[in-house]
Amino acid sequence: MGKLMKKSGWPGFDKTDVLYLAAMTVIGMAIRLILRVVTTDDWGMYWDPWISDLKEMGFSYLATDRYDYTPTFVYILWVISKLPINPMTAYKGLHIVLDFVAAIVMGKIVWRVTGSSVKSITAYGLMLLVPTIWANSALWAQCDIIFMTFLLLCFYYFFQDRPNLAMFFYGMAFVFKLQSLFIFPFLVILWVNKKVQLKHFLWIPALYFLSIIPAWIAGRPLMDLINIYMAQGAQDVWSLSIKWANIYQIIGNQYFLLEYAEAGTWLILGILMILMFAMAQKRYKITNEFIVQMALFYAILTPYILPHMHERYGCVADILAIIYAMMNVKKFYIPLAQLLVSFNCYMAYLSHRGASEPPIYYGVWAFLELGLLILVGLDIWNYMRNPENQITEKQIKDAAASGEGSTEHSAAVRKEGA
Amino acid sequence: MDDFLRDFISKKWRIGSFTFTFLDVLLAVCISGTGVFLRLSVIDYTETGAEKIAGIVLEYLLAILCGAIVYHYTGRRNRAFCTYAILVIYPTIVANGALWNVNCVYYVILFFAGFYLCVRGFRVLGVLSTLAGTAIALYRMWQWYQPLSVDYPASLSRGWPNFYEIIGAEAFVNLFDKVFVLFLIGLLLTGAYGFAKKKIRITQDMALQLFLFLALLIPYFAPYMPAWAGYTADIAALLYCMRRKERFYLPILQLIVSYSAYAYIINGETKLPMVTFSVILIGVMVNVGVDLYREVSAQLSERKPDHE
Repeated sequence: MGKLMKKSGWPGFDKTDVLYLAAMTVIGMAIRLILRVVTTDDWGMYWDPWISDLKEMGFSYLATDRYDYTPTFVYILWVISKLPINPMTAYKGLHIVLDFVAAIVMGKIVWRVTGSSVKSITAYGLMLLVPTIWANSALWAQCDIIFMTFLLLCFYYFFQDRPNLAMFFYGMAFVFKLQSLFIFPFLVILWVNKKVQLKHFLWIPALYFLSIIPAWIAGRPLMDLINIYMAQGAQDVWSLSIKWANIYQIIGNQYFLLEYAEAGTWLILGILMILMFAMAQKRYKITNEFIVQMALFYAILTPYILPHMHERYGCVADILAIIYAMMNVKKFYIPLAQLLVSFNCYMAYLSHRGASEPPIYYGVWAFLELGLLILVGLDIWNYMRNPENQITEKQIKDAAASGEGSTEHSAAVRKEGA
Repeated sequence: MDDFLRDFISKKWRIGSFTFTFLDVLLAVCISGTGVFLRLSVIDYTETGAEKIAGIVLEYLLAILCGAIVYHYTGRRNRAFCTYAILVIYPTIVANGALWNVNCVYYVILFFAGFYLCVRGFRVLGVLSTLAGTAIALYRMWQWYQPLSVDYPASLSRGWPNFYEIIGAEAFVNLFDKVFVLFLIGLLLTGAYGFAKKKIRITQDMALQLFLFLALLIPYFAPYMPAWAGYTADIAALLYCMRRKERFYLPILQLIVSYSAYAYIINGETKLPMVTFSVILIGVMVNVGVDLYREVSAQLSERKPDHE
């Protein structure tokens, strides 16, 4: 059994492993079963009426402009509306199942990048305990676990050196949530370093276009569907930070609402351009750790400057921080701090604080998040400055001459993976 | 005469294998007396009965026991003696028994007796003692909540500045009280799993670190923790400092947090927001956790690289 598991890319399990896995599965499930009864505002204001409309109108609901999420998510709601069970149970049930899928993928990622069965199994267990994961799906009835699972799969296939499949899953993540773009710049860096090809990026528009076809057929105008993320961005503009601990919690989130909203977007674009420019100056060995560092850095940076960020928008950084700490245990404090910030922002919304501050001011959390950004940034800086991690022109030419083409970095990745 | 007195106070006396000086006896008598007078000055705050008196006696026994633990760990008589002296006048111990009449010492002494028995090799007795302590602790907490007579508590916090002070103690009380117990069990299981899989041998130092870490971690996430939930950690932090003097700040911080929690309940206010103490506790916990991790890593690196 153990050998079979190993052959199929899983660590072999002994009795202790099985016992631990079973116990954590039971605990993870029990936590979610306890929380499943909570009805949040998002459920009452959005998903429930949408499902009711879907029940009433059927697929033709997709022709309307009553939903501002991508149609793919509404297809899921449509399926739920057809089920003969309580919609909230079905909805939360689906996302709870995805929590477990994400935990399994997390376990596989850690197994892949560390080769340690203990860390891999522990990663599965810890992923089920992470408060922002269970609070998102089982308590809040949010759907971020869908795109996060796809992002995890994206990373898994990058670590397997299968960029095409990785980009397919990135495209799937984008189909569900715009937040997947937070880490987009790291894909550009991977492209510069020949880890990804331009054609792989086509998955993003292709999958998005495929996903909107049914809604288009149902009757919603194509431009409406293409611009759905733009429309989404135009909502919830009553504060520069919607309970996320970012720069606006330091400088003030209620002033220059319109001006800063636009300026903030340009500012982050400018910052990303400068960073990508700086990182594209040289070619680097793309190790698994460097991939996670970059993705984590952008996952923290982008929502730190972008206006109108919601409480949940640290979720990508949450999972990346866990992977990062699993790869480098000395960085344990990064997920600890990130999850603390993130869960605090969740609770600020869920406990109906309204505009009042949480027990620790948002500004303090924002500084903590800034500290994390700097620490991860320094890790990247140190990696890039190390000559051993740089690929020289000569090496590139030699690799090209020997016909290795785009995969000179792959040797390094394979070496690390091994 | 002067020389005679000087020689007298430092002259070593011997009873069997036990040696001591006049200064030792002087401090023992004086500090024990100070402990008594310290308690007498606050004893009237609550009713004094047999339970409180017995509790105070147990507090002295606990101080002796902790002195013995420090002696076992360091082999240094002076540190053991200092431990006894400090614990006799330890503010949270005095406030818990003499002032407040909570008398946590009834179960905490069993924790430390269990710990001492374990590190001396009497594991079964040690575990039994710890289990007995846990049972009494749970009973005490139940007893404490009885007079509150509410259908359901309105807050996850009962005075101990833990995780709930940060995230907000009033939200989802009826759900989070179960969820975070499961969360805590999950964390403990994960730790146990890691130790079992890596075949970590619990050394003497590691046992002390683990004991302190658990004494900090459990009340940090367990719901409805009363203000005295840090009692065990208060003492364990002192023992840890006696073992590693560079960690002198841990008992200081822990004691400040713990006494502030007492003050918050007894006085109804503290000068600093309670959430400040929750953050301090994270720092203390991380510090001890890192020490523990280093100890584990050192053991693993001594083995062959393919230990997994």
